[in-house]
Amino acid sequence: MNKILKLTIVLFLVCAIVAGVLGVVNELTKDTIAEQQRIKTEKAYAAVLASDGYTEVDFDKAANPSIDKISECTNGAGHVVMTTFTGAQGRITMAVGVDTDYKCTGISIISHSETSGLGANAASSAEVGVNWRAQFVGEDKNVAITKAGGNIDALAGATITSRSVAEATAAAIVAVESLG
Amino acid sequence: MNIKKQFKEGLITNNPVLVQLIGMCATMAITTTLFNGVGMGLSVLIILTCCNVAVSAIRKIIPNEIRLAIFVVIIAGFVTIVDLLLKAYIPALSDALGVFIPLIVVNCIIIGRAEAFCQKNTVGASFFDGIFQGLGYTLVLIVMCIFRELIGSGRFGGGLIDIANGFRLTMDGTGAGIQIFPETFGASIMTLPFGGFLTLGLLIAVMQYALKKSAKKQELKAQAEKEVDE
Repeated sequence: MNKILKLTIVLFLVCAIVAGVLGVVNELTKDTIAEQQRIKTEKAYAAVLASDGYTEVDFDKAANPSIDKISECTNGAGHVVMTTFTGAQGRITMAVGVDTDYKCTGISIISHSETSGLGANAASSAEVGVNWRAQFVGEDKNVAITKAGGNIDALAGATITSRSVAEATAAAIVAVESLG
Repeated sequence: MNIKKQFKEGLITNNPVLVQLIGMCATMAITTTLFNGVGMGLSVLIILTCCNVAVSAIRKIIPNEIRLAIFVVIIAGFVTIVDLLLKAYIPALSDALGVFIPLIVVNCIIIGRAEAFCQKNTVGASFFDGIFQGLGYTLVLIVMCIFRELIGSGRFGGGLIDIANGFRLTMDGTGAGIQIFPETFGASIMTLPFGGFLTLGLLIAVMQYALKKSAKKQELKAQAEKEVDE
């Protein structure tokens, strides 16, 4: 009985020390991480639909559960939609630009946990990712991968990621359309 | 403590990837550009060195029954610290490596060294073991990255070397690398996981050949000396 008590106390102490250290590191880095995330989001907005400013608008959350936020471009170019959906490995957060004709002007993946070298190529800043995302430009709400009858070539080895990105783009366009 | 022997073991005769055959999942998954390889290698080196020192420092006070649980907690702690620091200061690397940074927690190089080396050796020896094993790992990653990137996309130093604005090293992963031959001639299969298996297999084979050859040489030398003595 004494033995078990000793083991428990030692393990508890080790965990408590590690947790304490992690808490300090988290406290020290969290502002910088939030700042990096903000820069990334801003860049993503500018990349999908350039504008001098963005105003958040209200939308029907119940009808569009995957949409986080819709912002209207102050220059009248259209809307930028923030959406979070499930990819092949985890949640993907993406910005979608939609112009006034309800056509996609570009997509930009802000965070994801897809497989490196496969699904992660969708978010890659290398040629493979840039070319793949360029396919979405000019697509309307019927956007889909070729396997589902659309025009988007799926990434090699990452059909599930490709499909979910295409579906999320379609859902984003539908959400903007429903704003009227 | 024999630093020279440890150095040789970490890099060649007991290389974590090529001889101990541990930590291979991340090795195959991330070795597509030099940027990833160097970043992953250095992350593992830092985590491995810290964990080795920590484990070795407390090796006499931790009860044997729960040592593995304690090792895992310590490793997870250091991995999370490195993960947070990368996210804050080198976000490009954090994005490129994605889930493979948190997965260092279960990279068997680290728990393997803790179990096999640090709990029996002094803090100093464990520190050098971390550095040399980490270097051995990084070296293998770099060789694989260079090979796969060159054959797969005809490039050298993707993400790390930027020649568009004069030759310089980038830390934000935007460098395009040096194009040796046009990308369309590359065997893109080498950048897929399949190419990772192929490259790793070839490297292990070369390593085994070299090790066997040098072992044979030593044997012959010993034999010759014996004959002279007689």
